[in-house]
Amino acid sequence: MAQAALTIDALGVSFGGFKAVDEVTMIVEEGELRVLLGANGAGKTTLMDLISGKTKSTAGRVHLYDHDITNLEEHRIARQGVGRKFQIPSVFRDLSVQENFEVASCQNRSVFANIGFGFGAARRSRIEEVLELTGLADDRHVNASSLSHGQTQWLELGMLVIQDPKVLLLDEPTAGMTQAETHKTAEIINSLAGRHSLLVVEHDMAFVRQIASHITVMHLGRLLAEGTIEEIESNPEVRSAYLGSQGIA
Amino acid sequence: MNRSKLALDLATYLVFFAVILALPLFYDEFWLNRFAKYLVYGMLAVGISLSWGYAGVLNLGQGLFFGIGAYMMAMSLKLASATSLQQGADTPVPDFMLWNAEPGAKTDLCCINQGSFLWIPFQDQWFGIAMSIAMPVLVAGILGAIVFRQRISGVFVAIITLALVLLVRLLVIDAQPVTNGFNGLTDLGWFTILGFEFDPYVVETYYLVAGALILTLTGTRLLVETRAGLILQAIRDDQNRVRYLGHAVARYQVFFFCVSAAIAGFAGMLYTIAAEFTSPTFMDLAFSITMVVWAAVGGRASLIGACIGAILINTIEAEMSETEELVEAWKAIIGFIFVMVVLFLPRGLAGFAHDMTDLALRSLGLAERETGTAARDVPLPAREEA
Repeated sequence: MAQAALTIDALGVSFGGFKAVDEVTMIVEEGELRVLLGANGAGKTTLMDLISGKTKSTAGRVHLYDHDITNLEEHRIARQGVGRKFQIPSVFRDLSVQENFEVASCQNRSVFANIGFGFGAARRSRIEEVLELTGLADDRHVNASSLSHGQTQWLELGMLVIQDPKVLLLDEPTAGMTQAETHKTAEIINSLAGRHSLLVVEHDMAFVRQIASHITVMHLGRLLAEGTIEEIESNPEVRSAYLGSQGIA
Repeated sequence: MNRSKLALDLATYLVFFAVILALPLFYDEFWLNRFAKYLVYGMLAVGISLSWGYAGVLNLGQGLFFGIGAYMMAMSLKLASATSLQQGADTPVPDFMLWNAEPGAKTDLCCINQGSFLWIPFQDQWFGIAMSIAMPVLVAGILGAIVFRQRISGVFVAIITLALVLLVRLLVIDAQPVTNGFNGLTDLGWFTILGFEFDPYVVETYYLVAGALILTLTGTRLLVETRAGLILQAIRDDQNRVRYLGHAVARYQVFFFCVSAAIAGFAGMLYTIAAEFTSPTFMDLAFSITMVVWAAVGGRASLIGACIGAILINTIEAEMSETEELVEAWKAIIGFIFVMVVLFLPRGLAGFAHDMTDLALRSLGLAERETGTAARDVPLPAREEA
């Protein structure tokens, strides 16, 4: 059995008595691509907030390999190797594509260590790799604000990839994309699996079919089911709670 | 950045430096003293541009750091003045302390009043110089650590800094025995290095200020070109994204806030040398807001733009207010210019110059494509075969 990359152990948070996430336990193995499904309000984004430190959990632990990263400051969790992509693409709009990647490439994280110019050969070639991977090489000098929606999503994804995180949390990476863009995003994400462990929240079922081997379903803050896409499709509880009577379209 | 643009940028800096270094060829000492003050204002605008344009932190209390820098220097210069040295004691004592001394108080900084001992180290001019930078940095560091660790941003930072400068102004006026209250510190001695006395009305003093401005502008520009400067601009655009990339956002904000304060303190120190006084009016709200206006007119996103904006506005103001026909109208005209610039040139004069350069470069076919995918297949304008 592969090593556990991300271990979520009875994690929970309650907002004034309301348990948005309640005793969720799951393990994402090294190199795995896990899709998180669930209806609106199921707690998927909140779960990502808890892992990445945006929201402090009130119960349970999160481990990244052997490190306990529960409730650390956001930048410390990121430094440990958890990359987070937001649902609303967030990039540095007044900087060029290349500069966006450069910000992500500043690996030495003290202010004074970054009082210096340019990047070493290794980081520069890494930036080139990711420019190619995301198909943004021709637009490297373009301001991020003038990219298309899909390109903006890839830019943000690329910023994470450049840092070689151990675990990538992707919150609806194809939201608002055209079919062609969705297809390309799936290719990028598939190419990341294996080298990184990924946890992806997604609604687009065609996309899920393209990327997922293993699915976890959440409902009302709790884990409902876990399994392959076929198992999930045929699980009666999932069908009634989330998919409705039609199954996965 | 495009190579031709980088060259243009460099050329702009060099031309600006050449112009300010050449001013003594065309103006007399009276005007040079004025220009020295305007260059100090230019330096203030550089600090504003750094914090507002690059860091996205609108500081409406920059006068606080300017004022602290000015007072620290003025304390040293006050002790070096003839009147302070001739108070009948072995060590200098500021005249205003004597006027208000309790009967029988010992004429010495140690104990002429309760707070006068604070002045003792300022007998060394270098202590005054060091403090005029160190104190603003210290205050900015503490303030920044509180504000930025709490993730306070936007208009709330503006309100906090605004309140703080007013508070300190009140304290300075209130601490009359130590600060001479609302009179400020006047009748100062001359700044002296290695025996050379910087009379405010000699060309050397102008060059001192001009050199300091060139140093500050160059240093700040290099600083924003570093990786840290890039991260700072990223923080301005989306600080959460930077945070989730693993950078300690608050530390970058505090660091650059301190740099901005150091520039303002340095400016305050030079202003005191050139103007021979310091006063609580430096911490007036109006002055802090005026600095922001200079930077807005010049272009807050450009260090040199903000700097030139400040110098131009002050020169124009001086010229107009002394033109007889405009004595009544000049303030209205300046106000009108401000409104026009904000309405039609939201990125200030620097933004306008930037757009014009872009246009010129594009028509020459030198500009790299910077407008997004849509423009990819637009052919460059054919150049005539000569």
